[in-house]
Amino acid sequence: MQGSSRRVWNSLSDGPSFPYLMVLPAIAVLGLIVAWPLLNALWLSLHDVILTRPNRPSRFGLHNYQRMLTDKDVWAAVWKSIIYMTGTVVGSMVVGTIAALLTRGVFFGRSLARLVFILPWTIPAVAAALIWGVMYDVNFGVLNRLLGLVAPGAGNVEWLLSRTTAMPSLIAIQVWNEFPIAYIFLLAGLQTIDQDLYKAARIDGATPFQQFLHITVPQMRYVAAVTAILLSIFSFKSFTIIYVLTGGGPSGRTETLIIQTYIEAFRTYNFSYSATLSILSVVLSLVLVAVYIRLAVRPETADGDAH
Amino acid sequence: MSRSQGLSVVRACILTILGIIVLFPIYWMFVLALSPLGFSRSVGGFLPIEWTFDNFVFLFVDRPMGRWMLNSVIVALATSFLSLVLSTSAGYALSRLKFPGNRVLLLAVLMTQMLPSTAIVVPMYAMLRDLGLLDSLPGITLAHMTLVIPLAIWMIRGFFDGIPLELEKAARIDGCSRLSAFWHISLPLAAPGLTAIFIYGFVTSWHEFLFARTFASPQELWTAAVGLASFKGEYFSLFEPQMAAAAVFALPVIVVFIVLQRQFVAGGLAGGVK
Repeated sequence: MQGSSRRVWNSLSDGPSFPYLMVLPAIAVLGLIVAWPLLNALWLSLHDVILTRPNRPSRFGLHNYQRMLTDKDVWAAVWKSIIYMTGTVVGSMVVGTIAALLTRGVFFGRSLARLVFILPWTIPAVAAALIWGVMYDVNFGVLNRLLGLVAPGAGNVEWLLSRTTAMPSLIAIQVWNEFPIAYIFLLAGLQTIDQDLYKAARIDGATPFQQFLHITVPQMRYVAAVTAILLSIFSFKSFTIIYVLTGGGPSGRTETLIIQTYIEAFRTYNFSYSATLSILSVVLSLVLVAVYIRLAVRPETADGDAH
Repeated sequence: MSRSQGLSVVRACILTILGIIVLFPIYWMFVLALSPLGFSRSVGGFLPIEWTFDNFVFLFVDRPMGRWMLNSVIVALATSFLSLVLSTSAGYALSRLKFPGNRVLLLAVLMTQMLPSTAIVVPMYAMLRDLGLLDSLPGITLAHMTLVIPLAIWMIRGFFDGIPLELEKAARIDGCSRLSAFWHISLPLAAPGLTAIFIYGFVTSWHEFLFARTFASPQELWTAAVGLASFKGEYFSLFEPQMAAAAVFALPVIVVFIVLQRQFVAGGLAGGVK
């Protein structure tokens, strides 16, 4: 009995369908919960499903896309997504690079310094939003108090409430929360640079700045590009910090495409139009993913060509 | 020599300043969390004056913070465990067994990882409703698995790629089936990496806000992330309890990170898909 069941297992596990059997459960879950809803979104975007108006006759066609193309709010939201993305990626790369360069060598307290620079990454986005929300408070926030010490008489800045400062204030939170990703990647990249290159340069009398410019920068170009595109993908998707703190306000100033998609669905209940916006966000993020795949996921044989 | 000493002094200064800026929000969270109500309104300094645990008592006695934390633990454990099982199976097959469609499948999996969650949240809501999983912890777990599985598959595939095939081949010659070669040879060798995945899965689910907020409306089914966000609106002026809640929510991850730094960072690095 036992022998025959073992034989069944063995013949199964040596058969041609075995790899598919092993992949199937994971793919089934992803298919059910990601691919199917995605197709559903596509279907929704071609119809009229508005929860508050269930009896409205539905049309089939591209009318939602037509509306989207001429919708000023949508393109304003795309623009805000681009600003948010650029701000967080540039900010994270700059802070990450400085931190990585400062902690690359051997020095006393190095592991403590590394711990400190990764720590913000462990703070959940919701918690980060609350912490900074408290620090940004106009009347009692610690940031305005610090500002008062540095520049007395500057008055209280309305960080998240003012139309001009809301976006940069949110970007600062995201940078604080996510620069450790850039830091980890860049530090790992720095450690792969051949130390002999620096030795040779020092013998030739190169200053630290020249070494940075002519060795570090060219050697790190590939790692930095991969890191930046990865951060762009993350930051294009960001939802939590913006949603918790401003919900897209004040007067839509922080309403990125991702926030607008969600608001459209759960405040206006126009599921079809919201689905149309989601398809737009999927297409835009696929562009980023395509760049990432070209850069980072090359066939094994091509490894090292980009260096 | 003096020049390099000067450089290291400059470096120490910049490091200290940057470190203080980076740590300050976390420091301030703990200071407010442990200060009596009204501290942030009345005090002008940056140091704690009086310690108290009142804010934590408030969270767990007057608010269902304990319940929310328990929900988060259940969902995170289930998400992480189920994702690990499914991804180990898939990751092994994608690493060891070259079959038609292998590469396409890998790229498709990667794309699901990179898509914005908001793009599928509405149809997912409808689907969970049809399955009867709306307003339930299994529903949230299922949603969270989609965030963990893709990256887990990629990482686990990488672990198996790093284990020499010869070991399995030798076992096969000795009469092991493919399945038992996987179970007895490769799986134990991949175990340290799998621990990193488990942590990654747990933390991802613990942090997640959008799905947990959208798929569970009754308060007793909220995860800690959703409960925490609710403090923003409800007690917008009560900074101290807010910060106590944030501290309770963030602390487990901080502790895990400090204890298991190596696995944590390995997980983050693999996230880039080398």
